[in-house]
Formats: sequence, C-alpha cells, structure tokens
Amino acid sequence: MNIYCNQLGMLIEFTYCTSMNEGLPCRNIIGCWKERTDIIALLREKFSGGELRKVFSGPPKSRIERIVESIKKED
Amino acid sequence: MKRKIILDEKDIPKQWYNIQADLPNPVPPPLNPGTGQPITPDMLAPVFPMNLIEQEVSTDRWINIPDEVLEKYLIWRPTPLYRAHFLEKFLGTPARIYFKNEGVSPPGSHKPNTAIAQAYYNKAFGIKRLATETGAGQWGSALSFACNQFGLELKVYMVRISFNQKPYRRIMMETWGAKCVASPSPDTNAGRKFLAQNPEHPGSLGISISEAIEDAVTSKDSRYSLGSVLNHVLLHQTILGLESHKQLASIGEYPDIVIGCAGGGSNFAGLSLPFVRDKIHGKKVKIIAAEPASCPSMTKGSYQYDFGDTAETTPLIAMYTLGHNFIPAPIHAGGLRYHGMAPIVSRLLMDKLIEARAYTQLETFSAGITFAKTEGFIPAPETNHAIACVIEEAKKAKEEGREKVILMNWSGHGIIDLAAYDAYLSGKLQDYVLPDDDIKKLLKDLEKFPKP
Repeated sequence: MNIYCNQLGMLIEFTYCTSMNEGLPCRNIIGCWKERTDIIALLREKFSGGELRKVFSGPPKSRIERIVESIKKED
Repeated sequence: MKRKIILDEKDIPKQWYNIQADLPNPVPPPLNPGTGQPITPDMLAPVFPMNLIEQEVSTDRWINIPDEVLEKYLIWRPTPLYRAHFLEKFLGTPARIYFKNEGVSPPGSHKPNTAIAQAYYNKAFGIKRLATETGAGQWGSALSFACNQFGLELKVYMVRISFNQKPYRRIMMETWGAKCVASPSPDTNAGRKFLAQNPEHPGSLGISISEAIEDAVTSKDSRYSLGSVLNHVLLHQTILGLESHKQLASIGEYPDIVIGCAGGGSNFAGLSLPFVRDKIHGKKVKIIAAEPASCPSMTKGSYQYDFGDTAETTPLIAMYTLGHNFIPAPIHAGGLRYHGMAPIVSRLLMDKLIEARAYTQLETFSAGITFAKTEGFIPAPETNHAIACVIEEAKKAKEEGREKVILMNWSGHGIIDLAAYDAYLSGKLQDYVLPDDDIKKLLKDLEKFPKP
C-alpha cells in the first residue's frame, strides 16, 4: 500500500508513515492518509495518548529550528 | 504564434532582488527563547559562511550577482519562457498561459539557482567542503553539480529509504563527484545512535539534517548548506522571476496571475517576488502559492511567534503555526500542520500580498498528466500543484470569458520520478477506504516496529 510522500518525493509504504519518527508516526500522517482510512481511529488503537501527544502537540519544528537545535547539541 | 520567449545571454539579470527592502512589514527575526532576543549572525556562523549570513539579514534591495556565479548560470540560463498553447487549446480557455521552464538545468530543477551561489560564497569564504541532507535527492543533486563546478567536496546524507529506492538521484550525485551515504549512517554520532536501535533504520529527513549539521560543525573547513526556506535561498531564486519579468515585457505582456508550488517556498518565491514588488508599488496582480492538501502550511494556521515544542526550549521564529500551547484532544487538525514554510512567504501571506491554495494528490497528478499530454514535458510531482492551480484559474477565465495572462513556474521535470506516475496510472494512489482486513493487517505490521 503506497502513498506519494511530499517530503521524500517518492512512494512509501504505510508502515513507514507509522514508524519513521523513532517508532512513532510521522506528524503528516493524518493529512496524507485520511482519505483512505479512518486514520485517527487507527492511531488511537495503536498508540497511547502520551505517544500521540508527543507527535502531534505543538507545531512541527521548522528547518531553522532544527538547525539551531543541532548546533546547540554540538556545542 | 510564438511558442518560446528566449532571453539573450547578455540580458541575464546581473542582480538578485531582495524583497526585504520593500516589505510593508519586516519579517520578524528568529528569537532565542532563552533571552527573547534575536538570534545573532555569530550563532549561525558554525554552519553558514559569514558572506551568506550577511545576505540572510541584508535589507539592500539589489545584490550584485558575482561574475563567477553568472558564468555558471550561463550553463543553462536564461531559461526559456513557454506559451502553453496546447494546454490553452485543450482547456478551451481565453487565458494566455506562460510557464518558466526551470527543468532545463543540469539537475533538472530550479535548485541550482541557489546551489551555484552557495557553493561560490562558501569557496570565497575559504570553505573546502560542504555537508547537506536530501530527501528526494533533488537538492542533493543540485548541490553536487554546484560543488563540482567550484571544486568543493560534498557529502550528502540521503534518507536511507530514498537512497535504496531512488538510485538515479544518487548516481547523479556521484557522477558529479559527491559522496552520498544512506542516513542514518555510521559516520556521525546521530547516525550511530539510530543504527544501534535498528540496523535497518529507514531514516527520516530529521535524522539526515542532524547528521549533516553534525558533520559540518565537527569537520575541518566545512559548512552546511540548505536549499529552501532561508532568506538567502529565496534571494538567489529571484533570478528566475526577474528573467520572466523581462521575457514577458519583451512581448508586451504582464501577468494577471502568478502561480508557483510551495513546499519550503523557494521556487514560488523565486518566480513571484519581483511581481510582489510590483504589487507593493500598486500593480494589480494575483499571486498564488499552491501547496499539498496533506500538509497545508499556509491554508491553515495562524501567524505568531511560536515555540517548537511544549517544553519551550527551541528557538522562536515567525511562521504559520497553531501555537505552542495547542494540545490535541482528541487528535486535532493540528496534526496536519507542516512547519516548513519560508518566513518571507509566511509574511507575504499575512500581509495579503499573496494567497495560498491546497490541492490533493490525485488532483495534482491528474493535472500533471494533462500537462504532459498537451505540452509534452513531464513535470516533477511538486510542480503538479502549480499546474493544478493554473488549470483551475484557466477554467475560471473561461467561465468569466476573460483573457487573463497566467504565469507559472514549471520548477522541474519528473523524469526521475516516473515511479510516482506509474503508481498514479496503475491506480495505486487512488483515494479509497481500506477494507477491514487490510486495516487488521496494517495493525499487525506495526507490531514489528520498536517504540521509544
């Protein structure tokens, strides 16, 4: 079961969308899969509230945020 | 009837246009959450050369393009502006549709407009090698081409799943002399951490970014390079909009509508910023950013200073977001936000100088097929978002019986993305509801993946 991933520019399997984020789902998974399945119900069934909060609460990090965060780590 | 509007090499623009000089409201700088003060140029110095950081914060309206960069641009620039007669005829529209063909560059997209400039400025600053990440491979191949032109070493961290499944991009990079490795890789602390968890880790863009930055910061004479979002990237891309401006003027045309696809915002900005300038100075022109409905950065959300996480530890930056206090209960549409839009583009949207529209995957592939069947060129999948918008506007012009002039950035070709077209044509991308048995199988498949 494939979907075209806008971030990677390629076809990917559903399992990638559900596990690529250190075992947790990609935060774009709802937008990408909502037309094909009840993705929210599926996520609730599979992941705990805490896990879902970890993925979906707050805005995703921008590139510049990732960059500055990575520089800090190397410091 | 003229099909191609060609700009002579001697007429290539000699300066990039910096919208920051003309913005009615400046883009707020990213802030340090610890101090609430703007992030200073020296904080970015470990990853970018100071000459590019100066461009990042510059408010000079015009910035001279160095001769060394112009010399390389002439390998493929100026790019042709096409009149899409066959698409117009197919749609039966009175609109006159023009597309700027950025697919003629060596790597096949608009990306080298900034890759060439960044390679030059790094070399001028004394840098010997660059590190970067790539997802689909479009940016990695563009920077490989550029580094080769200026004699710089390049290491590209390519998301492993893409590395394994898109060999042609990797081969392009290696042909131009870059070292391309699958990420997570054993070459960095970040990569080793993920490989220890799972030796077959498929990778993600986030991991690749971490590896590339770690590489740049810890290696001698090295810096990092990014192909979207940042102000200097958008600046370099204005070459394509400035050329389009001249090309249309040469035939006595001016667009009613300017359209580009927007992921990180660089190709959209490259085409549109010179026209946004006209709009700021009173010209009537509609400017539309077309984005994926699956990650609608601009068509949803609000503009605000925001923290990247609930612990409020990451830097602040002005973006379209839902706000850091948002907690989904139940899962909210917040899960749909993508935080990757360029701050300049976000500012223009906030100030209503541009508008944004979202298109679904099927709409965009359908539009891409229509384009390929009429104009011949096979577009990159992201370019299809702009084409979907063009078709929508051309049909609207037909309904209104108005001879609108539509300008679009055809940001790249899709020759290396044919697998996506194959999936669309064979029905694999159809929006359908999965049967219960398939869902059960998916849930079972998930058992195989470790959780933190």
